[in-house]
Amino acid sequence: MNPIEPSGKRFSTWFSADNLFTGVIMAFLLVILAVFLLYPVVDICRLSFFKDGAFSLHNYLDYFSEPRIFRSFYNSMFVSTVTMVITTVLAFLFAYGLTRTTMPGKGFFYTVSTLPLIAPTIIQALALILLFGRNGVITRYLLDTSWNIYGATGIIVGEILYCFPNALFILYTTLSAVDTRLDEAAQSLGASALKTFFKVTLPSAKYGIASAAALTFNLTITDFGIPVVIGGDYSVLATEIVNKVFGLQRFDLGATISVILLVPSITAFAINYYLTRKSYAMISGQARPFIQPSRPLKKWAFTAYSALICACILLVFITVFLGSFVKTWPYDFSLTLKHFDFPSLGASVPLWTAFWNSVLEPGTFRTMIAIKYAPIWTSLLVSLVVAVVGASITLVAAYIIEKKKPRGEQLLYALSVLPAAIPGVVLGLGYVLAFNKPYFLIYGTIWIIIINVVIANFTLGVLSGTANLKQIDKSVEEAAVSLGAGPVTTFTRIVFPLSKVAFLSTTTFYFMRAMTTISAVLFLVSAQIKLAAIEIIFLDVDGRTASANAMCTVVVLIVALFLIVMRITTGSSGFTGMSASK
Amino acid sequence: MKRAGLFFIVGIMTMCLAITASAAEKVTVYTSFETDETVKYLEAARRDMPDLEIDIIRLSTGELGARMMAEKNNPQADVVWGWAVTGMEEFIPHGMFEPYQPKGVDKLEKRFVHPKHLYVGIDMYIAAFCVNTKVLQEKGLPMPKGWNDLLDPRFKGLVTMPNPVASGTGFLQISSILQMYGAKEGKEDGWEFLKKLDKNIGQYIKSGSRPAKMTAAGEFAVGASFDFVVAELKKQGFPVEFVFPVEGAGYEVEANALLKGAKNPRAAKRFLDWAISESAMKEYAQFKYGVTLPGIPTRPDLPKLSTIKLYPMDFAWQAKNSEAIKKKWETLFSK
Repeated sequence: MNPIEPSGKRFSTWFSADNLFTGVIMAFLLVILAVFLLYPVVDICRLSFFKDGAFSLHNYLDYFSEPRIFRSFYNSMFVSTVTMVITTVLAFLFAYGLTRTTMPGKGFFYTVSTLPLIAPTIIQALALILLFGRNGVITRYLLDTSWNIYGATGIIVGEILYCFPNALFILYTTLSAVDTRLDEAAQSLGASALKTFFKVTLPSAKYGIASAAALTFNLTITDFGIPVVIGGDYSVLATEIVNKVFGLQRFDLGATISVILLVPSITAFAINYYLTRKSYAMISGQARPFIQPSRPLKKWAFTAYSALICACILLVFITVFLGSFVKTWPYDFSLTLKHFDFPSLGASVPLWTAFWNSVLEPGTFRTMIAIKYAPIWTSLLVSLVVAVVGASITLVAAYIIEKKKPRGEQLLYALSVLPAAIPGVVLGLGYVLAFNKPYFLIYGTIWIIIINVVIANFTLGVLSGTANLKQIDKSVEEAAVSLGAGPVTTFTRIVFPLSKVAFLSTTTFYFMRAMTTISAVLFLVSAQIKLAAIEIIFLDVDGRTASANAMCTVVVLIVALFLIVMRITTGSSGFTGMSASK
Repeated sequence: MKRAGLFFIVGIMTMCLAITASAAEKVTVYTSFETDETVKYLEAARRDMPDLEIDIIRLSTGELGARMMAEKNNPQADVVWGWAVTGMEEFIPHGMFEPYQPKGVDKLEKRFVHPKHLYVGIDMYIAAFCVNTKVLQEKGLPMPKGWNDLLDPRFKGLVTMPNPVASGTGFLQISSILQMYGAKEGKEDGWEFLKKLDKNIGQYIKSGSRPAKMTAAGEFAVGASFDFVVAELKKQGFPVEFVFPVEGAGYEVEANALLKGAKNPRAAKRFLDWAISESAMKEYAQFKYGVTLPGIPTRPDLPKLSTIKLYPMDFAWQAKNSEAIKKKWETLFSK
């Protein structure tokens, strides 16, 4: 079973089996990240800076000299900044309610607030259009106003709803970790409640706040799903990249805008990353979970506030669910299943299509299941593979980084956290540029999509892996080694079982991302390989809003089902400490 | 438990491999037909050729062009089906297509077939406004007869049209306006007209049919779109009417071609033969204004072709200037 000589035999040279093992794995990981992360990004930079083989800033001059095009940069910065400020304030108050008051229903509020993570970002935009669009139930029928939400307002509201749980995780962790006795001390010294809040509570959470803000900024500026659906003519950088490439065949301009988008995105990520480390350094070992009973006014104010936020999040989901079952929103609210017979082309996926073709009689029902539902099947398959492969490879990477610390470990670590800073659209475009060549046999297959999603979400897997491995005492491993276990045995028998919780939550995270991601794989779907989340965009662009809602509902249900199955089989909730890294 | 997990993983991996490889004869098709019609045509294709596996992707005219151009050195498709002749003409100099003479091509009207058989025209469609009569009534607006009526300030924000960079319909609309105002003689008046029109446009949409659909849903008063979408919406009971612009309605011919470097040339040729067969043409005629195989009746719920003033489109000129027109439009009107 074990091809490697057990290190128990004590080779005391550097050429021990253990070092060999580490070296081989390390080299493998570095090659993977170099080929599938660095190469595409470098290719984008190359294309943006070179014209006809010579270095040139021509593309940048082109971009910055046309005011109407340059506007997308301004637009992106504007919506991201506004979203950042509002989301951080809202999430901070929510986190404060959860951690510092004795309001009822905390478990419920927390669970509801994480819901946006299980759906494609586009769900926010779809719901907002049904409610506040030109034909929205609220704008047109309740208020009878010609105002509508398309444009910057829609993007901002949608992004706030989507970013909320991500910011909340950071703030929740920060606030529950900071020692609350400081607040008590301040109050017992006679400081007013407000003064305590502004002089003690806020400053002690400052790094968490800034980190949540930076993350929100990064998530908003890199998102594609919400602006493409609700932005109308309001273009942002991410949609502009897709326009240039899809509409104008201008890969050079797409690459240029990608590089421009990389600047704020990497900056925000770096700030977030730096501050998260600082914030965790401030966590006191003596933190106490005990909270004094809150005054009734405070308690009920926070309860009402949290209920309001949760109502908004639930409203999004309910609206889209409803929108997929009613005949013609908002004219005819009678129920129907017809939107689930997707007016799309579907795909013939060998196993799935062949199976249903052999089981069902020819007819429209067979076409629906065998062909139109094939993208959902492909998505599910991709997500399962991504979940297993992604969680495994990031755990191995985390193990090498945290426990083996070989030479060059810093490099591996840097490459591992880099993906969160690269917007999905940019990485996807890079894949097209780098791999659309006859000798890259994986191009146009399911594998390029799997690799793309695994790499795009590498950061969170590695971070949660290293955090978990830190807690495993080195002596356990040493005991295994001294009893004669080789590196592989040590990993599979000792490290893996001890990292199971982290492994499972990474699996869940990867599954959710693979089912819901749009931006990263937008450029990679083909006539053969179609994914459910991308079909939502196509249906919406085609004016099939109801069916877009229906497809969105299917995706949400699959993810929810997966979470339930994970919970039942493993007994752990996939959400513990989970946050989308991008 | 552990073993079950392992089996599960191995099973999934095998399925993924199976997705990559398949035994049946396959053809990969790119199309810019509307999704609704494509679904119908595909049903017929699968009925007529049950042993042929057809992989297909549908994108708007501009997006499909970008995709083919991007894949030029590593073609992922075999056939382009129902794509604007303007695009075909534009791509011929890039050496994108392989000449092929499908079976029965001599029965088609000659002027729609490329002399060297680089593409074969199959049908035409015409620009039309979709007007929501209910919205007109509510706002007390007059029925527009053509492009000039849409400049009326009362229509501000109530008109929608396709983004010509992505949509073939949008391109033929602005292209007909530009030609009308003498763009071929180097005049800029067409752009001046579009600038005035821009003041009333509520939204540019990256689809040729969606402006009609959104208008039918009451989001706008007028949606610049094309013929059969409006007919379909009318049939579904929406309060909409056709208007073919009196200044002359732009039109486009759609064609098929064999892509150079096709990985499945045999299956591709088989598909191209089918795509101009009488069986296929009858399907197209369920939607289109006209097909290139004489003697096939087209849909009865469209106004008679003789009642519409068509603008004489110059496809060669359009193809030559397509990139410049799109770029200029982007600069002027994309927000």
